[in-house]
Amino acid sequence: MGAPEAHRSGAGGAIPPVLRLVGLTKTFGSFAAVDQVDLDIRQGEFFTIVGPSGSGKTTLLRMLAGLERPSAGDILLRGERVNDVAANRRPTAMVFQSLALFQHKTVGQNIEFALKMRRVDPAARRERAYQLMDMLRLSRDYYGRSVARISGGERQRVALARALASDPEILFFDEPLSAIDYRLRKQLEVELKDLHRETRKTFVYITHSLEEAMVMSDRIGIMRQGRLIQIGTPDEIYTRPLNKFVSEFMGEVNIIEVEARADGWLAAKGLERPLKGPVMPNGLVHGHLVVRPESVRFIDNGAGGGADNVVAGTLYNEYALGSRVQYHVKAGGRMFVVEKLRELRPEATLGAAVTIGWDARDSILVPD
Amino acid sequence: MSALAQRLAGFLHQPGFQAAVPVLILLLIGFFGPLVLVAVFSFMPARSFKLDGGPTLENYRFAFEQSYYLSLLRSFAFAAGTVAVLALVCYPVALGMAKLFGRYAGVLTLVMVLPLFVSENVRLFGWVLFLLKGGGVLAGAAKAVFGIELADMLYSNSATLMGLAYVYLPFMLFPMVLGLSMVSRDVVEAASDLGASRWQIMREIELPLALPGLLIGGLLTFVLSLGSLTESKVLGGSKVIMIAADIESAFTYGQNWPLGSALSVLLLVLAGGLVLVVLSKLNLDAILKRR
Amino acid sequence: MDIIAKPLARRLIAVWTACLIAFLYIPIVCVFLVSFHKGRYFSFPFDDFTFDWYGKAFSSLQTQELFLISLKVAGVVTAISVVLALFGGLAFARFNWRGRTIFQHLLLLPIFFPQAVLGLALLIWLTYLGVLPSWQTAVFAHLVWIAPIATLVVSIQVYGYDAAQEEAAYDLGATRLQVLREITLPALSPGLVSGGLFAFLLSWGNFPLSFFTTGADSTVPEWLYTRMVAGYTPMVPTMGALIVVGAAAVLVAGYIFIVWRRRPIGG
Repeated sequence: MGAPEAHRSGAGGAIPPVLRLVGLTKTFGSFAAVDQVDLDIRQGEFFTIVGPSGSGKTTLLRMLAGLERPSAGDILLRGERVNDVAANRRPTAMVFQSLALFQHKTVGQNIEFALKMRRVDPAARRERAYQLMDMLRLSRDYYGRSVARISGGERQRVALARALASDPEILFFDEPLSAIDYRLRKQLEVELKDLHRETRKTFVYITHSLEEAMVMSDRIGIMRQGRLIQIGTPDEIYTRPLNKFVSEFMGEVNIIEVEARADGWLAAKGLERPLKGPVMPNGLVHGHLVVRPESVRFIDNGAGGGADNVVAGTLYNEYALGSRVQYHVKAGGRMFVVEKLRELRPEATLGAAVTIGWDARDSILVPD
Repeated sequence: MSALAQRLAGFLHQPGFQAAVPVLILLLIGFFGPLVLVAVFSFMPARSFKLDGGPTLENYRFAFEQSYYLSLLRSFAFAAGTVAVLALVCYPVALGMAKLFGRYAGVLTLVMVLPLFVSENVRLFGWVLFLLKGGGVLAGAAKAVFGIELADMLYSNSATLMGLAYVYLPFMLFPMVLGLSMVSRDVVEAASDLGASRWQIMREIELPLALPGLLIGGLLTFVLSLGSLTESKVLGGSKVIMIAADIESAFTYGQNWPLGSALSVLLLVLAGGLVLVVLSKLNLDAILKRR
Repeated sequence: MDIIAKPLARRLIAVWTACLIAFLYIPIVCVFLVSFHKGRYFSFPFDDFTFDWYGKAFSSLQTQELFLISLKVAGVVTAISVVLALFGGLAFARFNWRGRTIFQHLLLLPIFFPQAVLGLALLIWLTYLGVLPSWQTAVFAHLVWIAPIATLVVSIQVYGYDAAQEEAAYDLGATRLQVLREITLPALSPGLVSGGLFAFLLSWGNFPLSFFTTGADSTVPEWLYTRMVAGYTPMVPTMGALIVVGAAAVLVAGYIFIVWRRRPIGG
């Protein structure tokens, strides 16, 4: 069966999508792990799907790689329907969560595997393996070493080289950095983004960390309960989260439950004074005000520097985050998070009464 | 109907099921088939070799009227005794293997597994040579070195019990080691740090956490000694008759299949019930996944 | 703090373990000792050492026949067990399928089963079906008990094996057959060798199942039993010692193979 013409002509923009998903669905029994996902992935972009565990992102990726058959909908690779093309016939390669290095083979044998399957002669295979090892800054001495005897970062590079060996059009990544310690992960995120720049290949990456996605991606899709609920650039997601769920994903932000009042102000539970924020859209009475920790500031008693919204509370604790300092302020039965640059920290002792505030333009109003 | 057929087709298409098929076929024709036949024969009239008689409970009544139930009780007593002896004997060794011997544990495991691969008969025969009255290795050595005449030790209940404990020792020991190695050092240290004594650690921490291994070991030992045949024949002589010996003679010398079947069923219902109850409480993935 | 803190307790455990090992080896040592005894009727201590009985064992057609049958049975059992255990082990530990827990428990039943009773049940099953017992039926009987054990041994290896390796190979262009040849078999080969070793050794030394299912054929352990119970000859300890030596040789060969395989694979 060919691709529906409507979808093909719909892509008539500047760059045709390399991968197009149309109503893609995967059900297990009565449970829809992936529920009618429509998505265009552009040639050469770094697209990241972010979602909590159980959101269906791994199932989605496995369908794209050909390791899982869709229950409904289509996957179009350059306009060709590939639903029934098995993983070993698709011009794509995947980097697995466990990396899935072949434990009984050497570094070289791992990297050359795809070429061996394509009956490339040994000399050419070795040439290609060395080239990839150079590119990924793996010493050529590792070629004959068993993969059981190399470090975590080196294993990552072997997995990348192995996926790249057959020059696939698209690379899929199934949370390959999830089990790595913080420092190495940060370093590898940068390397991965640089690799994307070097190779200009299409990368489709999944992770549960929006922070990780922000660093690397051209575009991000937020997944929840089998659906892609928001797609946008990191900037768009950061400044205009679709709803409370997406906002919560962004890490430590202040999310205040509010109700619309007739006068246009917002009533927040536990806070005496109403808040000034964006205007609640018509018909909506209930929402959440999102305020970033760095938008909240301490307001000196008496002195000027007033803010649109002012809340009085007590300083509960402070946490040093390198160049920044984070404060937790107890007010109105909840905890506010405030973040300041180290040189701007206030002189307050723990337990002291403080006043914090923020401006209406620094807050975002999102639905449930 | 078609929904059911569809579900069945789905079940049959699972790769896991397909991989299991060869072993399942073997078990079907080599294990469950014979068992069903034995069960059916136990309801046939005495001494029949065909399944055409009406169902009868004669054989079971006969088993209880004659002294067969005594053999059954004796077998149970021996099995329970074997488990008790082995639990006491193996626990310290298992503890050492799991926690103390470190890198020597591998070598020791090998040393203790090896006898398992020597035919049971050879080992039992070795015990006969060792315990034989007069010219046996033990008696002969005692006489030559100390000048003591040893009493006859063979062909007795205690020799049989020792033989059972000897043969089934690895079946208790290794599951026990497996179980005890599931008790992490951290947990024991935490308990100790919280003020538990060595005895309290064993009762509150080690035994509950090691329970799967202990259960498997105890169960294996119990069931295998319950149905043992050669140990009592070789070391117990004609004095110790276990239920398996009764079953054997009913099937072979007695040429009474229904009686042998009824005795087998009695043994299997009791042993099998125990096995099923214990197995259903175990999560095999959790036990075997640890290396 | 260590788990067993007191040095005395540690020493007691070590001594106790040594005693246990001695206990395990006493009868085997006795058999070897006595196999060198010249006289027809055994009495300890003795000073007439001889290798005569070994010479007789090697030259006797009857003993050659016994060893040949034992070898045939164990060899065939091993070959079939390894194949069954490979698939059984995958079903046991690799695939997540409906029915797996039941399969795991079913598989354990023959292991948790009195062998003598199983042998007898198989005897009447075979007789009822009209199959004449021979060494071939003994192979079948051994398999019922040994294939599940070999499956368990292979399963332990399968548990430690990241099945994503298969998907990775498939994703990189391997066909199903190539996945099996390049990934699954080499990765599981230590487990398969161990499973095969278990199968051979357990079959080689088995008595209760052989006793009821070999019919007119006889294996070495069967011969030993009949001679022990009635008609003792000085050949009994000799044959016992030989069967132990055979098991040890296979074990050593298997061990060497496993160590050799552990090196990284060239080419």
